[in-house]
Amino acid sequence: MKRIVYSLLAIISFLDLNAQNADEILKKVDQNMSSENRVFESTMTINGKRGSRTITSKSYSIGDKKAFTEYLSPAREQGTKMLKLENQLWIYSPSTDRTIQISGHMLRQSVMGSDLSYEDMMDDRKLTDLYSATVNGSENIDGRNTWVLELNAKVTDVAYAKRKIWIDNERYVPLREELFAKSGQLLKQSAMGNIIKIDGRWFPTSIVYKDMLKQGDGTEFKITSIKFNQVIPEYIFTKAALKK
Amino acid sequence: MIRFLLKGLIRDKSRSLLPLIVVAIGVTLVVFARGYINGIMVDMIEQTARFNTGHVKVTTKAYADNINQAPNDLAILDASNLILKLEDTFPDIDWACRIKFGGLIDVPDEQGETKSQGPAMGIGLDLFSTGSKEALRLNLAKSLVRGNLPTKEGEILLSEDFSQKLGVNSGDMVTLIGSTMGGSMAFYNFSVAGTVRFGNTGLDRGTVIADIRDIQLALDMTDAVGEIIGFFPGGYYNDELAEIVMAKSEKLFVGETGEYSPVMLRLRDQEGLSLYVDLTKSMGTIITFIFMLAMSLVLWNAGLLGGLRRYGEIGVRIAIGEEKGHVYRSMVLESVMVGVAGTIIGTSTGLFLSWLMQTYGLDISEFTKNATTGIMMPNLVRSRITPPDFYIGFIPGVVSTVIGTMLSGIGIYKRKTAQLFKELEA
Amino acid sequence: MKLAFKLAFKNLIGAGLRTWLNVIVLSFSFVIIIAAKGILVGWDRQAKNDMADWEIGGGQYWHRNYDPYDAFSLSDAHAPVPPEFKEEIANGNMVPVLITQGTIYPGGRMQPVLIKGIHPKQNLLKLPTQNLDTTVGAIPAIIGANMARANKLQTGDYLTIRWRDANGTFDAAEICITQIFTTNVPTVDLAQVWIPIENLQSMAMLPNEATVFTFRDGNLIRRGDTGEWKLMTFETLVSEVEEMIKTKSAGQAIFYSILLILALLAIFDTQVLSIFRRQKEIGTYVALGYTRGQVVGLFTIEGAMNAILAAVVGAIYGIPFLMWFAKKGISLGVSSAEYGFAIAETMYPVYSGSLIVGTTILVLMATTIVSYWPSRKIAKMNPTEALRGKIQ
Repeated sequence: MKRIVYSLLAIISFLDLNAQNADEILKKVDQNMSSENRVFESTMTINGKRGSRTITSKSYSIGDKKAFTEYLSPAREQGTKMLKLENQLWIYSPSTDRTIQISGHMLRQSVMGSDLSYEDMMDDRKLTDLYSATVNGSENIDGRNTWVLELNAKVTDVAYAKRKIWIDNERYVPLREELFAKSGQLLKQSAMGNIIKIDGRWFPTSIVYKDMLKQGDGTEFKITSIKFNQVIPEYIFTKAALKK
Repeated sequence: MIRFLLKGLIRDKSRSLLPLIVVAIGVTLVVFARGYINGIMVDMIEQTARFNTGHVKVTTKAYADNINQAPNDLAILDASNLILKLEDTFPDIDWACRIKFGGLIDVPDEQGETKSQGPAMGIGLDLFSTGSKEALRLNLAKSLVRGNLPTKEGEILLSEDFSQKLGVNSGDMVTLIGSTMGGSMAFYNFSVAGTVRFGNTGLDRGTVIADIRDIQLALDMTDAVGEIIGFFPGGYYNDELAEIVMAKSEKLFVGETGEYSPVMLRLRDQEGLSLYVDLTKSMGTIITFIFMLAMSLVLWNAGLLGGLRRYGEIGVRIAIGEEKGHVYRSMVLESVMVGVAGTIIGTSTGLFLSWLMQTYGLDISEFTKNATTGIMMPNLVRSRITPPDFYIGFIPGVVSTVIGTMLSGIGIYKRKTAQLFKELEA
Repeated sequence: MKLAFKLAFKNLIGAGLRTWLNVIVLSFSFVIIIAAKGILVGWDRQAKNDMADWEIGGGQYWHRNYDPYDAFSLSDAHAPVPPEFKEEIANGNMVPVLITQGTIYPGGRMQPVLIKGIHPKQNLLKLPTQNLDTTVGAIPAIIGANMARANKLQTGDYLTIRWRDANGTFDAAEICITQIFTTNVPTVDLAQVWIPIENLQSMAMLPNEATVFTFRDGNLIRRGDTGEWKLMTFETLVSEVEEMIKTKSAGQAIFYSILLILALLAIFDTQVLSIFRRQKEIGTYVALGYTRGQVVGLFTIEGAMNAILAAVVGAIYGIPFLMWFAKKGISLGVSSAEYGFAIAETMYPVYSGSLIVGTTILVLMATTIVSYWPSRKIAKMNPTEALRGKIQ
C-alpha cells in the first residue's frame, strides 16, 4: 500500500513538473536572483594547495549591467576596485594608481586566484536568452526537491555550450549548477547553500565554485550581508569613482 | 759547470736568445690555447648556468617537477632561512635568488589609460645588494641598448624589441600585471631604466628584468623565491664538487619531506646537460694533447736548429781538444737551461694572457659582422685557467727542446777532427 | 720557375727530419682547421636541414597576423585556404597547419599549449603524422619528446584538452598520445600537441582554415605575398641559426689561429736558420746570375713548399680521420630546447670543397708570408761576402 502511495506521488510530481514550463521556472528563479539593485558584503575563500586565503569585498549593483566592487581585506587587496559596465571591466589598483581595462585573454584569468574567471563574472545576459531549457527530471539534494534543468545554448557566442541547473522546486533558487564543454565534458561545478529569505525573496548566500579540471578544493563565496533596493548614487558606476 | 754554461748563455745572445724566444713563444701559445679551449668549451655550460640553471639550484620538489612552467605558487617560502642554512653549509658557494614570472606589461598614456600592452616573461634577480654578481653574470651592462641599469627600487629593464613594440623609452612608467603566488592579479609600477638585448628572438620579443625585491613585492612573494641558484668558487661548474654538494645537501634537507621541501639540483641534471659536461672533459684532454704534440714537434725542431746553428762553434771546441762527450753533455745541459727558462717565461706569459682573457675576455663582436651582442649571446670569449696550465708547458718546453738537442748533438760524434779545419776554413 | 720548385723541393727533402717535423705540425693545422670548421658547417647544415624537415620545408606562408612569439595573436591569425594553394596542397607539396590555443591539465595543473592541426597523410614534414590516422576512442595526438618529458606523458596516455572555438565557447575532449617523436627542432615540440587538422578545424569551428602553410619547393620565383598570406622564405626562417654560427666561428677562429701560429713559428725559425747557414749557397746563386729577387723567391718557395708537403701529409692521415669523424660525429647532448632552435645531439662535420680549398689557400698564404719575411734579408746581402760564407 505504501508503495502505491509513493509511486502515485511520484507520478503527480512528474505531472506537475511537466506542467511547469522550464522557461517559467527560470523566470521565477530570475525573480529571486536578480533585482533592481543590491548592495552586499561577501567573503571569498580560496582553497589553494598551500592553505587558503579569504578576501572580503563590498559590491554595489544595478540590474545586471552595472556593478562595482571594492575589496576590503586582506591589506594587499584593500582598495582594489572593479567596475563593470555592460561588457566592459576595469580594475583599479591603488598601489599603482592605475585603472586597467581587463579585456581579451585577460578576462580568462582567474579572479583573485579563485576558480572563477573574470569572464565567468562578466556574462550578464539572461540565461533564457542564451539557452533553451528543458526539465530533465527531478532529484533530491540535501532534503530539498529539485528540478534538473538542462540548458543547451541557442546562440553561438556563449562560453559554456551546456549547463545543468538543479532548482529548488519550492523556493525557486538554484542549488547546484554544472557547466559543460561542447563535447559534454564537465568543466565547472558550483553548489549553493545557506538559502535565506530577504525582503520576500529566497537567496543563496554561499556558493562553492570548482574548476573540475584543476586540482584543489575550489572557492567558497559567502554573502555576509545583502540589501536589496537601496539607493545607490549613480557616480559609483563611473571610472572616476574607481580612483576615489 | 752550470754556472759557466749559464754565463755563456747569457753573454752569447745568439746561442740563447733565439731558442729561448722560440721556446717561450711556443709554451705561451700552448698554455694560452689550453686556457682558451677550456674557456670556450665550458662557455656553453656557463652560459646556461648563468642564465638559468646555476651550478646547483635549490627549489621545492613540486617546483622542480614543473620547472618549465616557472610555477611560483610552488615557490620556496621562508627563503631567507633556507639561504642562511645554505650559506652556512656551503660558505664557498655564491647563492643567488631568482624569481621567474610571466605577466603583461601595460603602458599608460597621459590619462593613465592603456596605450599599449604586451605579454612578458620576467626574471627577478638581485641587482642592488652589495656584492651581488647577478648583473655581471647576465652581462647586463654590455647588453644594454638604451638607458641605464636599474639603480634603485622600482626600475625595470625591458628587452629592446619589446620596448619598441610597446613604444616606451627609458624613464617611462609601465605597469606589470602579473599573478601573485596565491593567483590574484597583481599590479606594480615600474620606471623603465633601460633596454637590453638578449640575442635570442624569443627572449627579445618580451622579456623584463627587475630587482627581486620589487618582484617579491609585486607578486606578493614576501620572503619567497622561485629558485636559489648557487655558483661554485672560481666561477666554473665542477662535477666532482657538485657531487659533494649534492651529498651534503641530502644531509642538510634530511627530515624535510613533502611536496614543498627543498631539493638540490645540479647543473648536469638540468636541461639535459650531462653529455655535454662529459664532453667538455674529454675534449679538453684531446685538444691539449694535440697542442702538446704540435708544440713538441716544433720545439724538437728548434732543438735541431739550435744544434745546427752552433755547428761551427762546436767544430772549434772539438778542434781545440774538448772531449766530444763533454761538448755533448754541455749542449744538453744548456738546452735544459734554455728549456726551463723558456718554459717559465712562456708559462708566465701564457698564464698572464689567459688571466687577461679570463678576467676581461675578448670582444669578438668586432669579428662577427652585424652579430648581435646580448645576454644570451655574449660578445666576450673568455679563457679559463686550470691547474694543469701551470705545468703543462714543461713537457714540450723542456723535454722536446732537450730531445731535439740530443738528436742533433749525435752529429758531434760523427765529426772527424781531421776534417774540422777544412770545414772551418770556409 | 719550374727549376725553382724542383730546387726548393730537393732542398726541403734534403733537410730530413727538420722538414718533416715542420710539415707534420703544419699538417695538424690543416686537419684541425678543416675538422673544426667542418663541425660548424655540419652544424649549420644540420640545423637548417632539421628545420626544413620538421617545420619549414622550403619556406612558409604565414597568416599576416601570425606571430609565433605571441600566442594571443592566434585568435586572429587564421583564414580559409586560398584557392591558389589548393593544387599544391592536393599534390602533397604544401601542408596547411592550423594553430589554436588550448589548455591541458597534467597532474591537475593548468598548462597552456598550442594545438596544431596537420593532415595525417602529409609526407612533407618528418612529423610522424601517420600516427594521427588511427582510431583510439579519442582524438589521436602526437607530441615531442621534450613536451612528453616536461609533462610526464607517455604513449597511450589519455588526457583532457580544453580549448575555445571561434565563438569563444569552451570545449574539451580527450586526446590520446599515439606517438612521441624525438626531434631537434624545439619549435615543433615544446608546449604543443599535434592532432589531425580536420579535427581541429571542426573543434575550433574554423572549417578549411589554416594559420601557416609549409611548402616543399624552395623555388621562390613564382612566390610572393598573396592576400592575407605573408611569404616567409627559407633564408628568413633560418637567419637565427646563421647568426649563431657566425658567432661560434669567430670564437673558433682564435683557436686554430693559435695552432697555425705554432706551426708558422717553426717554419719561421727554420727559414731564419736556413738563410743564416746557407749564405754560400746564396752567394753562388747570385754569382750564377740570379737576381736577388729571384733568390728571395727561391727561399720563399722553399718555405711555402712546407705547406704543400703538409697538405699531402695531412691528406694521408687526415682523410681517413676526417672521414671517420664525419661518420661518427661529435655528440653534444645539449637539449635544443635551451636554444630555441635546432641543435642536433650529435653533430656531423661536413667538409665542403670551398672549405678545403679555402683552408689550403689560407695555410699556403700564411706559410709564404712567414717564409718571405726572413728571406728579405737576402736582398741586403753583399754577394761576394755571401759567396765566401762570411756571416753578415
